[in-house]
Amino acid sequence: MDRDPVLKEIRQKLKDDILDVFDKSAKRVYIGIKPESIRKAAQCLFKDMGARFNIASGVDVRDRMEILYHFTFEDINLLVSLRVTLPKDKLEIESLAPLFEGANWIEREMNELLGITFKGHPDMRRLLLPEEWPQGVYPLRCDYKEWDKDAVRDRGV
Amino acid sequence: MGTKLEALLKSPWVFHLSTGSCNNCDIEVLDCLTPRFDIERFGMLLAGSIKHADVLLVTGSCNRKSVARLKRLYEQVPKPCLVVAIGECSLSRGMFIHSYNCPVPLDKIIPVDVYIPGCPPKPEAIIAGVVKLIERVQEKAAAKK
Repeated sequence: MDRDPVLKEIRQKLKDDILDVFDKSAKRVYIGIKPESIRKAAQCLFKDMGARFNIASGVDVRDRMEILYHFTFEDINLLVSLRVTLPKDKLEIESLAPLFEGANWIEREMNELLGITFKGHPDMRRLLLPEEWPQGVYPLRCDYKEWDKDAVRDRGV
Repeated sequence: MGTKLEALLKSPWVFHLSTGSCNNCDIEVLDCLTPRFDIERFGMLLAGSIKHADVLLVTGSCNRKSVARLKRLYEQVPKPCLVVAIGECSLSRGMFIHSYNCPVPLDKIIPVDVYIPGCPPKPEAIIAGVVKLIERVQEKAAAKK
């Protein structure tokens, strides 16, 4: 297997779902995907083409939210990142956890730190934040404000 | 500090607690136990359980989840005990001072006896800090007599 045939196959299989392809370097390709077809794209890369699901990362870019699903083709040293853009007023996407277990915890983490809803997630509990953390406050968003009145933010000198 | 504490400090057993550190301070604490630095020549031993310890070594920036565990451990130390804060994170939270997850520094949660600064502090600094603490306690006890 080689790099170009793999990219060609992805383009061919996800013809209607790809918004843009950014060929960053020999090891790295970003592919913009429509949010509604993420499950199809993940199925294609993970199940059909044998890529490994590395991790997903959620980014708050002020006017929109982005999720990058990183898939690696280890034998040809290629990292394909599926990029999904979500509008701030509708932060919903289909969960990938039913497809592969590796997406379970990272989706829980994105849910509590960024407030993205994953539809069809089997076990959406809190993962990292403590019990006393208020509902609806998302610490990794750009507009996060300190809510804890007891927090000490100086070094005392 | 009573005579009991002074007696314990002939051979203080230390318990090492990480409250969300990057593990660099923990590696330096473990370095202290290696033959090169050999902290046992001062009688110090790493205790496996907090209930056997006289000194509590704390590293890390005290995040929200570990604060509850820290308090629980501090309640279990046989008193009198000494608390040693190791590294910039447990002194003032270092670069994490504005983090949403680190609201309160260590010395606002439990009383701290020695601060050992550094990111991470060298094993020499850790040993020097603990030895200074022991000497101070012994001097105080001697002055009382």
